[in-house]
Order: sequence, then C-alpha cells, then structure tokens
Amino acid sequence: MIKKVLVANRGEIAVRVMRSCREMGITSVAVFSEADRTSMHVRYADEAYFIGPSPSSDSYLVIDKIIEVAKKSGADAIHPGYGFLSENAEFSDRCKREGIIFIGPSSHAIKTMGDKITARKSMMKAGVPVVPGSDLITDEDDAVKKIREIGLPVMVKASAGGGGKGMRLVSDEKNILSSIRAAQSEAKAAFGNDAIYIEKYISSPHHIEFQILGDNHGNVIHLFERECSVQRRHQKVVEETPSPLMNPEIRDEMGKFAVAAAKAVDYSGAGTIEFIVDDNLNYYFLEMNTRLQVEHPITERVVGVDLVKEQIKIANGQELQIRQEDLYQYGHAIECRIYAEDPENNFIPSPGVVKHITEPLGLGVRHDGYVYEGYEIPIYYDPMISKLIVWARTREEAISRMKRALFSYKITGVKTSIPFLQKIMKTPDFVSGKYNTHFIEKNTDYLMKPQEENRKLEDVAIIASYIDYIDRLESLKPASGPSANGQNNWKNCGRRLSFNRF
Amino acid sequence: MATEVKINERIAQVEMLSRDGNTVMISIDGNNYKADVVMVEDGIYSIILDNKSHNIELTRDENKSFVVTTYSRSYDVEIVDATTKYLKSRRRDHGLEENVISSPMPGKVVKILVKEGDHVKAGDTVIIVSAMKMESEYKVKKDRIIKDVKVREGDTIQSNQPLIVIE
Repeated sequence: MIKKVLVANRGEIAVRVMRSCREMGITSVAVFSEADRTSMHVRYADEAYFIGPSPSSDSYLVIDKIIEVAKKSGADAIHPGYGFLSENAEFSDRCKREGIIFIGPSSHAIKTMGDKITARKSMMKAGVPVVPGSDLITDEDDAVKKIREIGLPVMVKASAGGGGKGMRLVSDEKNILSSIRAAQSEAKAAFGNDAIYIEKYISSPHHIEFQILGDNHGNVIHLFERECSVQRRHQKVVEETPSPLMNPEIRDEMGKFAVAAAKAVDYSGAGTIEFIVDDNLNYYFLEMNTRLQVEHPITERVVGVDLVKEQIKIANGQELQIRQEDLYQYGHAIECRIYAEDPENNFIPSPGVVKHITEPLGLGVRHDGYVYEGYEIPIYYDPMISKLIVWARTREEAISRMKRALFSYKITGVKTSIPFLQKIMKTPDFVSGKYNTHFIEKNTDYLMKPQEENRKLEDVAIIASYIDYIDRLESLKPASGPSANGQNNWKNCGRRLSFNRF
Repeated sequence: MATEVKINERIAQVEMLSRDGNTVMISIDGNNYKADVVMVEDGIYSIILDNKSHNIELTRDENKSFVVTTYSRSYDVEIVDATTKYLKSRRRDHGLEENVISSPMPGKVVKILVKEGDHVKAGDTVIIVSAMKMESEYKVKKDRIIKDVKVREGDTIQSNQPLIVIE
C-alpha cells in the first residue's frame, strides 16, 4: 500500500494532489526549484526537497533528480500531475525499474497515444471512429488522389508537426498542389521530415473529451464528457460539463468508444479521450491525454468522484469500486482558468507580487489555486494562477453563480484574465450554449470591446487614491524629537513598517 | 487649493472641502461629493456614495501613483503634486524615456541582436525577452545607433529596467 507520495510538480496541481493524499492519510513529499521556495505546494506538503535552478529543464524535468528525492525520502509512489514529466514514457519506465510506483499509465500506453499516427492506427483497429484521412504520404500524386477520395475541405498536416507548423487548410481544388508542397517544405524546414498526412477538415468543430478510469484488472469506466470548446490560441479558457451540445444517445455511444479506446492500450489510471465533434454530432477520435487534466474538477463535481484518490487506489493495484451503471451526472459544472495576464494588453503575461487576494467562497464554489498575499508569481512557469469551479443544478444557475464568483474574486498586484472571463459569461453565444472552437475569434469584438467610460466610477477611484495619498502624507511626517507630537515613536515606526510592507 | 489627479488619460482637479471622521466632502472637476470613506484593510477602501457601496482596492507605487481596481475595471491614477511636476519637466528636457528600451514585464533575456555602435533601421528587432513561456520582440521605431547594451543573454530582468540605450 502506498504510504508516501512524491508529487513531481508545482503550483495548484501539486497542492490539489496533496489534498487528496492528506484525506487518505498518505504523507506528501514536495520538490521545489530555486524560484519555488515560497510556493504553496512546499508549505502544504509534509516534506520538501530542493531540486535545483528555476528553469524547469534544470529541476522539474530532470528524471534523475526526482528519482533521487523519491529514494531519499522513502516515497513509494510518484504523482506527476499534468505537464512536466506526466506524459514521459521514459519516466514511467524508469520508476518501474527503480521499484517506485508511477501513478499513471504504462510507458506502452504513453508511447502509443503520444504518437499521432500510431494512436490513429490503434484506434481504427479498436473500431473507434477517427477523422477520415490518410496514412503517411511522401508522394505528391498519392496525396492528390487521397484528397479527392476524402473530399474537400481537408487539412494537410506534417506527421512530425506541432504548434500549427506544417499545417495547411485546403478548401479549393486549385490550391491542392501548392498546399501540399508548402506543408512539405515547412515540415522539412521545421522538423527535418517531410512526411505528411491528410485529414478531413471539420468546419465547425467542438472539442469534447471523455474522462476515463482504468484499473490493472481490465476494468475501464468513463465519467462522461467535458465541453472544452472555449479556447484561445489552442489554450482552453472555460470548460463545462455536461456539454450543451450533447444528447443521451450520443453520450452513451461516445462513452463506449472512449472505454474501447482505453482498453485498446491496456490503459491503467485516469485518462482523457479527446473527440472532435461537428454541429451534426458526428464525432471522431482526436487524441488521448494519458494523465490527469487541468479541467478534471468539473467532472469530479458533477459525478462525485475524487479522481486523484481513484488514481492512487488504481496504482495500489486495487480494483475499481465504481461501476459504470452507478454513475450519473448531477447538475452542471463550469470551470474558468485564471491566468496572470493582461487581457487589455494583448494577453501579455503579468508576473509579479500578489498584493492582495480575496478568493470567492459560498455555495457551489470550488477554488483550486496556490497563490497568497505577498507571493511572487515566478516568470519561469505557466501563468495560470488558479481554477475557479462552480456547480449548480442547472446550466443557467451555474452561469449566474460563476458571474457571482468572478465578481467577488479580487487579485491586485498582477493583472488577471478575470475581466475577460466575466465577459465570456455574458456573451450571448455562450449563454445560449451555441458555440464551437471559433467562439473567441467570432466574438472578439464583443469580448475585447473596451469598458464604457464611467465618470462616476472614475471619481470614486479618485476619491480612494486622494484620501490614501493625503493620509499617508500625514502619517509619514517626521516627528521632531521624541514624542514631540504627543505620539509614541514605536507606534509610528510600526505604522510606517506596515505601510511599507509591500 | 486643488490638486491635479491623473486617471488614465483624464486630468481631474480635486479639492478636499471638509472632513469629519469618515465623512468626506470632496470636489472633483466642480462636482461636489459627500462620501463615507473607510480603509478596511491596508490598501482596500470601502466607499459609500449616495448609498451605493463600492469596494476599491489600490496598490501603491511611491505613495502617489496607484493602480486602482474597481468592480468592472482598473485605472492608473497619479497624484500630480509639485514634486511630480518638477520631475516630469526635467525628464522631458532630457528626453530620457525615448532612448531606453525596456520591458513592461519582468522576465529573461533570450537574445540580443545588436551590439554597441550598431546602426539599426526602423522596425529592426534589437532584443527578445521571454516571460512565462511567451517571447516578445522589442523593436526600434526609427533609424538609430546602439549606444549601450546593459544586459546579457540569459539575464533575469525586472520590469522597466533599462535594457538597451539608443541614440
């Protein structure tokens, strides 16, 4: 049985994993880089070990260092969180060799799902629908033939691609050849490999994913879907479950395929099957994430299962206690990701010292974060500050609740995406639930419209600043000699210190 | 005597008329307000104006410039007193701001594309800075000569720290 878990991560996810450990009576071990000595996960953990310089390539990503700490601390398992080493097949293998339990899938599952082409092939073999497309193509004529077979519009993609490089949309017959050549040369330049493949282009895509859990005894269940179509530059911004697009029949079908997909790679642990779904509810397998997702809390809230606890139990070798037929979705959950970035200034990251934070509380609100007053958000890592999750009986009520929670969420010292999220909650397309991955692009004018001038509010801001200025001038006036003004100098000193605190 | 207060691009004339405990009479651009003002936590004001309740949070920079956060938006506010005015006029004379390239956010220098004495053309990138996985390029607006490079690649920098001095 696992008694001590090393959490090979930082920030909110490290804290979130440790919370479940604490509930299970498991000791938690934190690792931290130079920049993270004061990070909340170090303060929350039972034990903490320093692992090197701030850049993650010198600390959180160094397998040897993580293994060394696991041995030194006597941890019997490692939870990788998301990002960093969570989808690293070598790390999963290495843990196994060192006799440490990796709380995640086998290297075989990570490898198979990590490579787009292999993943696609194994899904086809398992009967899971994939986006109509081709195998790897290096010959131009083959490519043209295949494109005619699939039918326009199509995407031409580099097999080694990523980050939008080596990708071309073809919607017009006459652009077929030029697009193939452009994709090939871009792929050659960027990745040294000009192999491409063709995929049908879904013109109004929804990103819908299914949460699955598999144990080491061949049992796999799904915990329904998450709608993740609100994205900015391929980064998810808002997620919700159930998806407003879904109906019970399709949900059931997709859930079964998600389970089949996981079974095809003997999946063990928590994972996510991503589908791309069009307006007519045609769905296709996109990829599998072989780890816990950032947005896992909305599933936990609606289904009532602690996914981290399930991960640990599975890693312990226990059989899944939850059966598919016992699961149902109760109510509606929405998550907003709060980033340290300036929405009024092209979303540039805004690291710095958090001067003040008031976290939202109240009925149906969950806040997964890690920053506190006086904490400096480091420049080295992801700018996500926290996740705000709300739950209510209906979608409508959940949106109102999210608005209320965002209203009472105050962070000063760094700029955050909160005002942007508030606008999303008010956007008619979001309110009606009729949106796809083009949502932010389509609603840019509405979302980026500057706030209307509000003289009265400006004047209130002036009053606060002016009073603050005057009062500080008064209190900072030096006293001439000891207690010249009948005040106590110690008191003044203390007052001055507290004013200069930040 | 009225004090100038700059809020974003607007300059307002502000004068305290009277003050009795929490009750403040204040004139802003000729409008008289009677407000109930309490600092409830350091830097956080509860202001009741015409029975409307406002929570205003401010972060200070050297006592007279503030970032003020209200419910719907945040403002840059500056108290333009005599000292500020004097400093501003001096800075304008020397044209300091124009000649220094700096980053508005703290981060790390990824690449420096120029060295001292280089002639650069308008629009040329001179330095690349990264913060939180995002890289930003800084360019010159006009044809310039590089006078001084104050940082090295790999350096960690503060916001508004001078990086490159140009002529």
